[in-house]
Order: sequence, then structure tokens, then C-alpha cells
Amino acid sequence: MSKFKKFAKNNIGFFFCLPWLIGFLVFKLYPFCSSLFYSFTDYNLFKGMTQFTLKNYINVFANDTERTALLVTFKYAFMTVPLKLVFALFIAYILNFKIKGVNFFRTAYYIPSILGGSVAIAVLWKALFKDDGVIHTLFALFGASSPSFLSDPGWALFIICLLRVWQFGSAMVIFLAALKGVPNDLYEAASIDGAGKWKQFFSITVPLITPVIFYNLVTQLVQAFQEFNGPFIITQGGPLNSTTLMSLLIYNNAFKIYDMGKASAQAWVLFVILMIFTLIAFWSQKHWVYYQDEGR
Amino acid sequence: MKKGLFGSVMTSVLAASMLAGCSSAAAPAATAAAASVDSKSASEYDTCTIRFDWWGGDTRHAATQKAVDAFMKKYPGITVEVNFGAWTDWETARALEYQSGTGSDLTQINYSWISDYDADGNTFLDLNTESSIIDLTQYDSTLLKTCEDSKGQLAGIPLAVTGRTFYWNKTTFTKAGISTPTSLDELLAAGKTFKEKLGDDYYPLELGEYDRMLLVSFYLQAQTGEPIIDASGKLTVTQDQLKDGLDFIQKLEDNHVIPTLATIAGDGNVTLNENPKFIDGHYAGVFEWDSAPAKYIKNLGEGQELVVGGELKGLGDKATGVSDKVSMLFAITKTSEHPHEAAMLLNYLVNDEEGVTILGSERGIPSSKAAYDILDKAGKIDKTVAAAHKAVMDADPMSFSPLFDNAKLKGTSAAYTTIFDAVSYGKQSTEEGAKALYQAYMEVCKN
Repeated sequence: MSKFKKFAKNNIGFFFCLPWLIGFLVFKLYPFCSSLFYSFTDYNLFKGMTQFTLKNYINVFANDTERTALLVTFKYAFMTVPLKLVFALFIAYILNFKIKGVNFFRTAYYIPSILGGSVAIAVLWKALFKDDGVIHTLFALFGASSPSFLSDPGWALFIICLLRVWQFGSAMVIFLAALKGVPNDLYEAASIDGAGKWKQFFSITVPLITPVIFYNLVTQLVQAFQEFNGPFIITQGGPLNSTTLMSLLIYNNAFKIYDMGKASAQAWVLFVILMIFTLIAFWSQKHWVYYQDEGR
Repeated sequence: MKKGLFGSVMTSVLAASMLAGCSSAAAPAATAAAASVDSKSASEYDTCTIRFDWWGGDTRHAATQKAVDAFMKKYPGITVEVNFGAWTDWETARALEYQSGTGSDLTQINYSWISDYDADGNTFLDLNTESSIIDLTQYDSTLLKTCEDSKGQLAGIPLAVTGRTFYWNKTTFTKAGISTPTSLDELLAAGKTFKEKLGDDYYPLELGEYDRMLLVSFYLQAQTGEPIIDASGKLTVTQDQLKDGLDFIQKLEDNHVIPTLATIAGDGNVTLNENPKFIDGHYAGVFEWDSAPAKYIKNLGEGQELVVGGELKGLGDKATGVSDKVSMLFAITKTSEHPHEAAMLLNYLVNDEEGVTILGSERGIPSSKAAYDILDKAGKIDKTVAAAHKAVMDADPMSFSPLFDNAKLKGTSAAYTTIFDAVSYGKQSTEEGAKALYQAYMEVCKN
């Protein structure tokens, strides 16, 4: 067998991986590494690069606008993720019972998570919550006055959160699958011992589905930190930068001012922060996540 | 050994990817267009497909598409693929195309884009090289000079000269029992009348953040007699004068002339011509370019009438404060593979009788003498646009610096938006706002 044929036979797996590898190198690793490089420069898309600088990283924490965007991003993430997980688990628990029309309800609750990421839904959300929108009209029907959701800095961020929380369907479906995996004999045994529904939920259900809660927590946290559509379309970062998340700030710096150096630094800071939170979540799992095969 | 080879390959790729970012050149590798004048005549052209993009409202899109269809009929063999949309975020998409060398052959550009995206002269073709196709003699040479890039190349053909003026919903003013305002005092009085006679949600005028800054510039220019940013790019006003300008805007809000920015945000951040409050006459005034009233007139509700108000008297003693600029230009990107055919389309749209007649005054009163004569003879100059343009020109306008529209100043999250928001919401005083505005201008201007 020739040398080449021998080499090919021994490395056939590598060649099968090659298309993915090329895609990864070109579309993931190269932009990753380039952005790290640019983050240490004053690179402007139209003016080029003139110097290396640490100013981009310093400004993320020293500059008011960037600090505010970080704070808003934390607020958004720590408001959205718990709300979404609580709703998803609650609805999944109810839909785990054999009730009439359960399949219809499962579909209905899942639909928003299919539609929700679209631009059209963000535009619809804006139309719902504007001053003369549907929500305002509903308030008026009951004789109450509604807050100005889109112009009040306090309410605007909540409306963006609500859009994401409304899309709890995907997390709900995953919880539902986990709930179906909890053995029924555990509930029977608990009932015999006199445990009520709440006790059974917190002592049996929750501990056994903690791996899935952990999975949803991590995936939703990552998604929350990367939120863009809602603030971009509904409020454009306003009012008063109250909905300017880091992702929107990165977009504005990269594609409005073309300051790629600054935008890259902001993106890397966001990446590191997200990585830290994810690592904290992974580290904490030994205290509260129970894997049946590990005997915990 | 195999692992070592694989590892070496990966390390090399990583190292190469880091070094790939080392280039300091910002411009893409644009293919060099012919430096010499195009010698082919308009009857000689290649069978090809060219791309053409523009922004605007629905009426402009309809007229331009009709003109493009007529061009393709006149010149079979040239296929024109069009791309059009509204102004919002249009510039972001086009700028990236210019940077990546994938811009359309013929592109509609804003006045400030020459300095923003063609600073090194590598983005737009020198249209002097297409002077055998584009009849440059129809343009005032002084006007063409303002459309040159830093290398003295003609970056674009000016379509019209435009300035901001006021348009009033006459129906609403009549409902309030007053005539449309011609002076600042009348406008202030109108605010009070609207509130008393029509209610809290009626306003004589609506101004967004950028509109406010433009009106401040008019106000200050009227006081000083000079453009706010002069021809050399220097800011000509002080921080105290900027505070005076912000106080002026605050006065308009306090006197119920304009809604607060919170009220406008509550409307859903829609453009004014699509805002139901404008359509049904609650917002009874527009401060807009003289070339762009059509989208407001088209959207206005039934029974409503929009009239040209002209410039406001009484803003200051030294001048009217009005400024004008080249409204927009047609440019050919340097990466176009068919600049000759793109130039043919350009000339068709701005100088050819058929093209000009179809387009009408959708982009304002044409700067081309030939186009103006054609439209004038055919009676196709829109009366509202003509009246608005006359109002601007009669006010002896000053020059408008492209630095005024710099991305650090204009746009969401830029200085004008954040500062006017903060002042309108009461988070900053006008003094603090003026300080921030002055600092923002110092970052951009050449002082």
C-alpha cells in the first residue's frame, strides 16, 4: 500500500471532520481570534488602526455608558431567567397531569417560543404596549390608567423581559420531559406517608429534576446575556439607555460608529462575564444538583 | 507523531489568524477603476446586470422603479436589480457594503457619506471619468465642487439642494381657530391655544432628537449670523450659546408647542409620517427637508391638509438661521464592474427627459438645469416641494457641514439622542446638557 493510501486509511476520521473543521476555523475561530486582537487596538472600520491600547477595556468599567449597559444587562438577565424558569416549571407541572385538552395547551404554550424571536413579534409587542396600544385600552376598559410602558425607564426594561419570559415554551417542554421521568411509585410512597402535594413537589419532584433545571438555567442565562432583538426593535435602547443591553451597545459601536476595537473589547468582556457566571453555576451544581447515577 | 503534526497545523492556523488582523488599511481591495475618461458613447454598452439602491418613502420607490423599468426598455441588455427601503438603518447596511466592496453599482448616498466613507477616495468612482456619459455641464461648478472627496475627485452627482422648513396641518390649526404660525411668537402662542381649545394631546409641532438639534442650530445661527459648524469644520458657538439653544427647546416643551420625548417614546418610536397622532392631526406640524413632504402628505388622514409654513421669523436678529445642503447624490462605487452602464443609468435619471419626467421632484427640486427645465415645462414640479424649496432659498441659507451628521453625534445612542433625552426627561439640566453637547462637538469638530 502506498504511503499516501496508508496515511489516508489511518486518518480517515480526520478527513470526515474536515468540512466542519474548516467551517469552525473560518467562521468561529478566526473571528474569535481577530476580535481579541482588535480589542487591543483603536481599529476603525473606515479609518484603520493606528495604535495598540488598553483603553477599550478600561473604558468598559470607567465609562458611564458602558457601565450602565453592563448593569442593565445584569438586571435584564437576573429578572428574565428566574421568571422564565419559574413559569416554565409551573406550567409544565400542571400540564403533566392528565387533564382534558392537555395536548392543545402544550401546543399553545409552546407556540410563543417558536414565534418569539422574530422581528414581527417584537413589532407587535411595541404595538401592544405603546400609549394608545391594546394594553392601554384594556386598562381603560376597567377604568384604570396604565403606565407609559415604552417611555418610562422603569417599565421599558420590564416589557423587554416580558417578551422573553412569554417565550417559556421551550424550557417548559424540557421540564415536561423531565417530569415524566420521575417515577410514580415515589409519589405513591410519599402519599402513603402522608405527604401533601407541595411537600411532594419540593421533596421529590424538584430534587429529581435538578439536572434539567441546571441545564435550563445555563442555556437561558447565555441567551439572556445575548439578547438583542427586543431592545433593538421595541425601544432602540431607550428611554434614557434603560434598555441598552451590552449586545446593543456592541452593535452600535461596531456598526454605527465603526469602532471595531471598542466593540471587540466590549464583546470579550461580555464573554468573560458570561463565562464566570457559567463557571459559578457549574461549581455550584455539586451543592444542589442531584444526579441519580452518581448516587446523590 | 500524528498528534504532533495535527497540533502543529492547528498552532500555525491560530498564529496566522492572529497576524491576519495586522493590516492597518481600512479599505477593501477595491479594483482600480479606469483613471482615464470613459471613451465609449451611450449607444455602446455591454449586456450586463447592474445593481442600484436608494432609500425613501413609498412614492419615491414607485417613481424610481418606474424610471428603472423605462431605462431597461430603452436599453435592452442592461438589467437593473434594485434595492430600496426606508431611511432607518439604511446607512448601516450600505456602509458595510462599501467597506466590503459589495456595494451596488449605482448608489444613492447622503452628503456626509463622502467624508465618512470616501475619505481616502477609494469608495466612489471619480465621475469626471464618466463625463462623456454624464452631462456635468448641467450643474453649477460651485455645487459640483462641494461633492468632491479629499483627493478632488467628483464622488457623486448632487440631486438637489435642500433645507429644513416647517409644514403645518392647516386643518388642525383651523380647528383650533388660529392661522398657521409664521413667527416664533405665533408658534409659542399656538401651543397655549392648542392645549386650551383642543386638549392636552394636541401639539402644533413634533420634534425628535435630531430635529431638535437642527432647530437649535437654526436658532443659534440666527443669533450669530454664522453656520454652527463652519466650512473648515470648526464649531462656532460656545457652551453658553448651546445652553441657550437647549433652553429654547425647553421653552417649546414648557409652552406645549412640542410633546416631550417621553410622549414620543410612548407613541412607539415610529417615524412621524407613520405615527397615528400625526395622521389624525394631533401633531399638527412637521420640521422636515423641503424635498420630503410627499410621505407626510400621502399618509395624512382624510380631510387633513398639509401646507408649507416656510421659515419662522424671530429666531434671531442677525440671520434667518436657515441652512441648506446637498440633499443626496448618486454615486458609482469604485468596485463596479460596469461603471459605463451605471453612468448611463445615472444620466438617464438626472438629465434624460424620459427619466426625469418619470421621477419628477421625488428627490427635491433637481439641481440639473436640464431636469429643472424639463419638469418646469411639463408642469411636473410638485407644488408643495417647489413652495418649500422657495421658502428655504428665500431665507438666504447658510452652508451645512457634514460634520453635523457625524455618527458620534447623530443616531440612536449618539450624543444628540442621549443629551436631548436626558434634558427632556429632566435627568439633566440644560447646563449639564450643553456641557455634554459641547464635549461631543469637540470630539468631532476641528477646533
